[in-house]
Amino acid sequence: MINIQDMRDTARDLLTKNEVRAVIGYRRSSSGMNAEPVVITTPEQADELVWDPTCFHNLSLYLVEDRKFLAHTRNNPGRPIAIVAKGCDARAIVVLMQEHYFKREEVYIIGMSCEGSGVLVERKLAANGIQATNASFDGDDYVFTTAQGEKRLPAREIMADRCLECRIPYPREHNVVLGEDKTGRELAEPFAALKRFEERDAGERWIFWERQFDRCIRCFACRSVCPMCYCEECVVDSISFPVNAQTTAEEKANRVRWIERSAVRSENITYHLTRAMHLAGRCIDCNECERVCPVNIPLRLLNNKMEREAREQFGYEPGASIGAPALVASFLDNDPEKFIR
Amino acid sequence: MEKILGKKQIDDWIAALSEWEILAPSVEDGIWAYRALSGAVRLDHSNTTQPPKGLSFPQREVFFSFEQIKGEPPRLTQKMPTATRRAVFGVRPCDGAGAVRMDMVFSDHVADPYYQTRRKNLAYVGLACNKPQGSNCFCLSVGGSPVATEGMDVLMTDLGDRYYVSAVTETGKALMAAAAKLFAAPTSVDKKLVERTHADAVAQPQRAVKNVDAVPAKLKASFKSPLWEELARACIGCGVCTFLCPTCHCFDINDESTGASPVKGNRVRTWDNCQFPDFTMHTSGHNPRESLGSRLRQRVSHKFQYFQENFGMPQCTGCGRCISECSVGIDIITTVNKVTEHAG
Repeated sequence: MINIQDMRDTARDLLTKNEVRAVIGYRRSSSGMNAEPVVITTPEQADELVWDPTCFHNLSLYLVEDRKFLAHTRNNPGRPIAIVAKGCDARAIVVLMQEHYFKREEVYIIGMSCEGSGVLVERKLAANGIQATNASFDGDDYVFTTAQGEKRLPAREIMADRCLECRIPYPREHNVVLGEDKTGRELAEPFAALKRFEERDAGERWIFWERQFDRCIRCFACRSVCPMCYCEECVVDSISFPVNAQTTAEEKANRVRWIERSAVRSENITYHLTRAMHLAGRCIDCNECERVCPVNIPLRLLNNKMEREAREQFGYEPGASIGAPALVASFLDNDPEKFIR
Repeated sequence: MEKILGKKQIDDWIAALSEWEILAPSVEDGIWAYRALSGAVRLDHSNTTQPPKGLSFPQREVFFSFEQIKGEPPRLTQKMPTATRRAVFGVRPCDGAGAVRMDMVFSDHVADPYYQTRRKNLAYVGLACNKPQGSNCFCLSVGGSPVATEGMDVLMTDLGDRYYVSAVTETGKALMAAAAKLFAAPTSVDKKLVERTHADAVAQPQRAVKNVDAVPAKLKASFKSPLWEELARACIGCGVCTFLCPTCHCFDINDESTGASPVKGNRVRTWDNCQFPDFTMHTSGHNPRESLGSRLRQRVSHKFQYFQENFGMPQCTGCGRCISECSVGIDIITTVNKVTEHAG
């Protein structure tokens, strides 16, 4: 079991010794049970940091934001930025480094092993009728503080599917790591949810997806929360059309719009499938997109499908090694397709 | 008009409203929403993920279609919404208050015919909140109340085995008159009970925006506050807060092509969102609200300062959706309180 104080001490020490310019971590939110992301810059703030089953967020998103800010302000801070990272988050950081988004020495990874736990799912918790103000993990159960006193639930019952299926709940890439390496733990078979879904026939699956995409409100929370969706210009934004002083009104009016603003089936499907394709071999299954969706679209099924294709067709595992090439930037000598060789 | 309706009679009442399309809260794919009623009505919802706003201000509204055949003048065909009368059951007071604000926006200077056509055919049968529906309710601190009638045609209060039903508008009276036999006159016991229920509801602890009357001036003084960037540090710039808001009404208008030869398509209004990077993008390429802090400031200032200046009330109705549904803990209550505290 991880002692929260160790994480706070690590962060405080790094800031005191000026080894990092900030620590990206989690703190308690002002609006309920969940943790929220925070960037601390002074040693005193280290006591704000928390670690519990509501630390859902893949904080590597804020490394991307930091990188964009530095590029925009042409700032070279010299010192690295530290980040609290679960196993999945650390794999996301590795993918970003594989894609040369930033360099290894620019990031200080405070790795957190999930050990026997993972993050919980708020909807699963609500289905159990629990309204909690605090959540923790005691080795077997999630323990909740509620108005009616302490309540316990077996962790497996409300743990996220992606955590149950996680093979490596440990940040292999780290500068310092807290907790034991429980790699190989098996709470559920990998791709179990996807396998269950694929047992339905194609017609049924299409009807299922039509219903899912029909209720998309195109808030783009799934894109906005994704550390891999770092494009400066996204295909769905109207700013993806470059404008300069010479651009005529007609050119602006007639710009190509791949996806219209209307939240209708055709546009919603194009948006979600474009995103899924762009995540192939990059998505590390943090599943933040599905968590943040206000209308409960099961995006993990799409991303898992792409992940499994990459694994089965090319033996590719995203985020395994900084030195490994990106999936779409590499080929295998034994590729069955001749054109690639 | 104030009446008593046995809980078991509500379906009979709905059955009597044959001239109305009935919408009520239902849960599908884990999401509570106002949907066409099928079967018995269920009013055990906390609140819906989205307010009923979209019924009068849909996310997509086609204004007109166009077609241009070479050598001929362009043909425009206006697409007015059909005037179906719809009664929505189970609307919560914060969303009733939201409708009042939306009505102001879409009748100010110009009465928006698309909005008005939908709205005047829409009746809200509200349900008072005997206790807060979630931990982020704060209607009381923004001038609302869990038992408020504003925006409603009828307000029902749950009295255990029966509803205390008050008509608020003429439409509300007509809805009740359609099944007059089902309603009984309230006894003095009923009247006392509803009074006590309402008093208890208002006495329930809620979160609060502090001193809302002083907020507009303080926000005005805080336009350049560095706090905005600090408070927006975790913001991911998605559209959840505004797309789920009962009073956000910004929209975009685009021509969506449906054919190239001849050129044809639709002029479409869609919801827009001040949290998106392209919301304030100028045609020159300059963007005055590039940072997340400036966009958070816009959302909060619109709710608590600009709307107050234009319409004499805060735009926010305290439903708490933007807080509960924010994936990174951006909290409009804390934001307003911190910024105003800092303004002194």
